[in-house]
Amino acid sequence: MAKKGMSELAKEEQKLAVKLLIPTFIILLVIALYPLGQVFYTSFTNRTFAGTGTTEFIGLDNYQKLLSFSIKELPPVVDEETGKVKIDEETGKKVFQSPIQVLPRQPELYRPVYSFNFFGSKYVVGAVTPDFIRAVFNTIIFTIFSVLIETILGLGIALVVNSEFKGRGMMRAVMLVPWAVITVVSAKMWEWMFQPTRAGLFNMLLDKFGIGTGNFSFLTNLSLQMPAIIAVDVWKTTPFMALLLLAGLQLIPQELYEAAEVDGASKIRQFFTITLPLLKPSVAVALIFRTLDSLRVFDVFQVLLAQKRYSMASFNYFQLISARQMGMASAIGVIIFILIFFFALSYMKALGVDTE
Amino acid sequence: MRKYLLLVLALVLVVSFTAVGFAQEKTEITVAAGSVGKELELTQQAAQMYMEEHPDVKINVLSTPDLTNDRLGLYLQFLEAESAKVDVYQVDVIWPGDLGQHFIDLNKYGAEEVTDNHFQEIVQNNTVEGRLVAIPWFTDAGLLYYRTDLLEKYNREVPQTWTELEETAKYIMEQERAAGNPDFYGYVWQGNAYEGLTCDALEWGFSNGGGTIVSPDKEITINNEKAIEAIDMAAGWVGGISPTGVTGMAEEDARKMWEAGNALFMRNWPYAYTLGNADTSQIKGKFDVAPLPAGDSGSSAATLGGWNLSVSKYSEHPEVAADVALFMAGKKGQKMRAIEGSFNPTIKSLYQDEEVLEAVPFFGKLYEVFTNAVARPSTATAPNYNQASEIFFQGVHSVLTGESDASTAVQYMELDLKDLLGYEIGEPRQP
Repeated sequence: MAKKGMSELAKEEQKLAVKLLIPTFIILLVIALYPLGQVFYTSFTNRTFAGTGTTEFIGLDNYQKLLSFSIKELPPVVDEETGKVKIDEETGKKVFQSPIQVLPRQPELYRPVYSFNFFGSKYVVGAVTPDFIRAVFNTIIFTIFSVLIETILGLGIALVVNSEFKGRGMMRAVMLVPWAVITVVSAKMWEWMFQPTRAGLFNMLLDKFGIGTGNFSFLTNLSLQMPAIIAVDVWKTTPFMALLLLAGLQLIPQELYEAAEVDGASKIRQFFTITLPLLKPSVAVALIFRTLDSLRVFDVFQVLLAQKRYSMASFNYFQLISARQMGMASAIGVIIFILIFFFALSYMKALGVDTE
Repeated sequence: MRKYLLLVLALVLVVSFTAVGFAQEKTEITVAAGSVGKELELTQQAAQMYMEEHPDVKINVLSTPDLTNDRLGLYLQFLEAESAKVDVYQVDVIWPGDLGQHFIDLNKYGAEEVTDNHFQEIVQNNTVEGRLVAIPWFTDAGLLYYRTDLLEKYNREVPQTWTELEETAKYIMEQERAAGNPDFYGYVWQGNAYEGLTCDALEWGFSNGGGTIVSPDKEITINNEKAIEAIDMAAGWVGGISPTGVTGMAEEDARKMWEAGNALFMRNWPYAYTLGNADTSQIKGKFDVAPLPAGDSGSSAATLGGWNLSVSKYSEHPEVAADVALFMAGKKGQKMRAIEGSFNPTIKSLYQDEEVLEAVPFFGKLYEVFTNAVARPSTATAPNYNQASEIFFQGVHSVLTGESDASTAVQYMELDLKDLLGYEIGEPRQP
């Protein structure tokens, strides 16, 4: 792209290109950059949502509240009479002090997020906003599992509907139905199926198979919440994944398979040496799409779990709507933005998506 | 081709202008109203009544989410945008302190003449800095619904204390299950992590002598033995006399289970009375209501609920909107709602009205419950009530799901409330 060698015509064309791009830039500025800047600015204030009071600039306070955490060792309880470490009589384990006595209270109150054992000592992780730290964990776990399962299932489905069979067109259309349903609507449907009584589909089925007594509480039991949410998302988004991968599969020239056939390569060999490498760009695009999408997950969490367990986005929503802390909510928005940005970059690097 | 395009454009212009012209003939008022049970239908009916009297006004009723927290979220978005799209808001009894600055003073629009007819506590609650920001529409108090047929069958009395409720519920639940209904439970209530749990837990605590979280004279009183005991008691119900799923139940979930005939007792608001006697209900005519059981304090407690109508300061037609609000909350509007939906009037004289008492006999019998209901600490914590309530219900919910024990939970509630409000620690208020 040496400038010297550029002809008059090319220069003219470049000028035209700039002119044609101006409207797009202006629109981007108005609809993307301005709100983004506004959010950045608000995140440094203590603004109240729909409030009429004054707003003050408070610097990084919001970020400090969201991100500060501390790890403390829990000292064992010492029996005052004997001077020895107290041992629980039932379990035979050491009794430790409760986190509320150990974690700092000034200048901010730290609350326990997680505790773990390490070389016989017990440690506790405390945070000022434990709900946010948990929300980040929830979101990441949700993303990893849902994207992984969706990719595997999506690939399987794509391979099936890519092969020749009667009614293939029909099958491809039907496959897309879950994805076409509005998330809030499908989440409500799942909520009914997850009912904690035998009126709910899953409890009814599990009961028929003799598992449990028909009162699995999928949405309130802490260990069942995440699997339930992931199941809903997998059901809904696998078709989208399959569609993206199907497009990739159709780009692979048929001749390659014919040649492989002639050379006597088995179907499995063909899959690993032809299909998968050639599908890699499509998989990369699909993964980026889905990962970024899952990191922003809001609707399934909001509808199914509301304030019982948060994703980053739903925690953001409740900070804004319920607690009315617009400054804090903006700071969460900024953190989500940075996190997603980081994910996108590392994906591009790792998967070698070319910029050219 | 071009000619046609011009013609179409011209047509579009004409049509859109006439549409604007038509709209200007009538004053449009939008009422944001709830849709729990029969609510929406009755609001539309009241709007119809108003429109018949005032043909120049068109009222649109906007249906809003069932959970009060979700509804607040929607309202805040309208208010933050200073939107004129909604003129009249149905507001919870806990909101006037928090949202008052967005609403007009109804006293300036003729409410002064009628406020004397309403329950004074509610009028007081809705008056913020001398301005009446909401006109009382209906009041609510937590009630114990019980199955008359089952209590009779097993020869049990209506429980007066929580311990009696536990015993009766356990006994009848076991008998009914043995008799062939494995889905039968003793007691259903609102245990989801939302405002409704604050209402329920306030009743357990206050009836047990555990106070009102924050006392009216601005002291934090939640960290006490009696409150811990009450929360522990409720946690003991989960998975026993109440289904494990109760920790995800709101009003409508409890009502559905109750109306399917799968519960002996239910804690709910008065609106469930008419619905339970509808033809679609399995328990039509087989139930009655009583005050909630008492705890160690010896008296029963019912949380004061209820909804009011406010007129947005950003409305384009505040006079008409105020008139609509005052009409709906007027005697005629409240009487219709009382008879057809068992919504408690806030106008005292309606409790002596024969037609009302015939339709909803318990209004007369439980008049005391409604007038003595215990208010949530929304005034003492304003404008931070919503956050204070969240601290409380999240803490209680963590005990109900077994994530935390009650004494740790209330210790954190106390610390968090102190952070939020900056009040001193005090002794719980007794009934």
